[in-house]
Amino acid sequence: MDINLDNLTIQKAHDHLESGDFKVSDLVNEYLKVIKEKNPKINAFLEIFDDINKQVKIAERMFENGEATILTGIPFAIKDNILIKGHIASASSKILANHRAVYDSFVIEKLKKHGVIFLGRTNMDEFAMGSSTETSGFGVTRNPFDLERVPGGSSGGSAAAVASNMALVSIGTETCGSIRQPSSFCGLVGIKPTYGAVSRSGIIAMGSSLDQVGAMAKHLEDVEIVFKAINGYDSKDSTSISEELRKGVVKSPLKKKIGVPKEFLTAGGIDERVLKNFNENCEKLKKAGYELVDVSLPSIKYSLAVYYIIMPAEVSSNLARFDGIRYGASDKEADNLFEVYSKTRGKNFGKEARRRILLGTYILSHGYYDAYYNTAVKVRKMIKDELLKMYENVDAFITPTVPFLPFKLGERLNDPVSMYLCDIFSAPANLADLCSISIPSGKTEEGLPFGLQITAPFLREDMLFSISKDFENNI
Amino acid sequence: MELEEIKKLADLARIDMSEEEMLEIAKDFKSILAYVDQIKEVSKNGNLQSISNDKNNYFIRNVGRDDIVTNKGGEFTQDILADAPDTKDGFLKVKQIL
Repeated sequence: MDINLDNLTIQKAHDHLESGDFKVSDLVNEYLKVIKEKNPKINAFLEIFDDINKQVKIAERMFENGEATILTGIPFAIKDNILIKGHIASASSKILANHRAVYDSFVIEKLKKHGVIFLGRTNMDEFAMGSSTETSGFGVTRNPFDLERVPGGSSGGSAAAVASNMALVSIGTETCGSIRQPSSFCGLVGIKPTYGAVSRSGIIAMGSSLDQVGAMAKHLEDVEIVFKAINGYDSKDSTSISEELRKGVVKSPLKKKIGVPKEFLTAGGIDERVLKNFNENCEKLKKAGYELVDVSLPSIKYSLAVYYIIMPAEVSSNLARFDGIRYGASDKEADNLFEVYSKTRGKNFGKEARRRILLGTYILSHGYYDAYYNTAVKVRKMIKDELLKMYENVDAFITPTVPFLPFKLGERLNDPVSMYLCDIFSAPANLADLCSISIPSGKTEEGLPFGLQITAPFLREDMLFSISKDFENNI
Repeated sequence: MELEEIKKLADLARIDMSEEEMLEIAKDFKSILAYVDQIKEVSKNGNLQSISNDKNNYFIRNVGRDDIVTNKGGEFTQDILADAPDTKDGFLKVKQIL
């Protein structure tokens, strides 16, 4: 039978595979066809894996033996900072261009048990530092809705792959908006789970007090299925939430009340069209039976500033390990050990990575540490406390996912602060360990997607899914 | 920020870069620091006094394990060294240190 990739969901694909309408190999070949046609222009995938046939055989055998799960044979795109044993994982950096993973990350291990198909690794901003996928060491990725525009970032390749039917679902990572923002720019659903919900074992780290792994897909139900498959405790990540604590979370029913932080909405110079779409979204939620409440969060406006102190500080420590000795690139012209470090790092880190490492080094240096890092840690706590208090009265709070629409390639690249402002609405969830989702909320006349962001309390992903469903049923 | 200060940071971070790039970074720092400096308003208002500096995440704890060897000797050596830029006799090879 013909496979229509446009409206395919995991459930539909599974039903067809189960009933034998098509085989895993047929499904995978459909996606490979699209990749062959579209990837040269969009550059979502950096590599298509050479072991797909082997993976397909494993999945088909699972169907034959009656061992298939709902995810068996489902084609995935994997962000380039997620380790798959035997494959290159470069974080789209020249310094790791030939780095081959020697073990599977936690998420990959979980997905392998389901027999999913990893089609290939997707482009991203170098070490996940960026909001447009333009800082990749291996070329830009283009937005499938308008090839002159960015797909968002840093998980831009993962987003563009799914939006252009090159994969059914994808795995991305987030330090501050890197799943939600490209999902919004590419018309997808993307979830940033609670900090500690999904293990980061085997993920190339950026900001360790903020990093989290999540899923992106066209359909809400697909994101929910993948989230449930990768969610869980892992002893290899010391920030992984224990089973005991997970069980202890009281899943109180929805109050059907949602907070709108009005003052915050205009903090980043919001595009009028985005604001108009947001107001329409509020009306839709009201129609779905939600009460919208103005919430005042006096410290939330500092979120992005706090983030741009804490994140570079953590970046400068995390990226210290790339030294040209143990793995990755190593400069051959160096005369002594110091030069091995400095030349390897100087030549192989891109501009944004170098800028953030230096910024972090500055923030953590003697004389500035208190004024920046320590203050930021305290303001972070203030923001978190305000949000926790807010949740006593509301289920979740909403904002647009991004204050602007997908912008043109090159438009913000040379002005770091204007690029950083993409993340303004993303920051609170990462700083306060909350779970957050971006869902599509319509398009402009020229066809550029809008996104609505919903942020719920610690480990209440179930609320994100219920509210999103109610919203979608009212579009 | 002075060029000298950027040079010192680049040295501390072990990143070799041109003077031209350092000047560019000094310019970027100016706008980035101007943006993040807004958090200083919070400290000026005295709002931070009551905030404790303890860990943000109450659920995070150290995960330890007993100091015992759990794999066969050399089990992973080849895999790991395959990724290293320079090796000799099963060791990483580096430039002379002393």
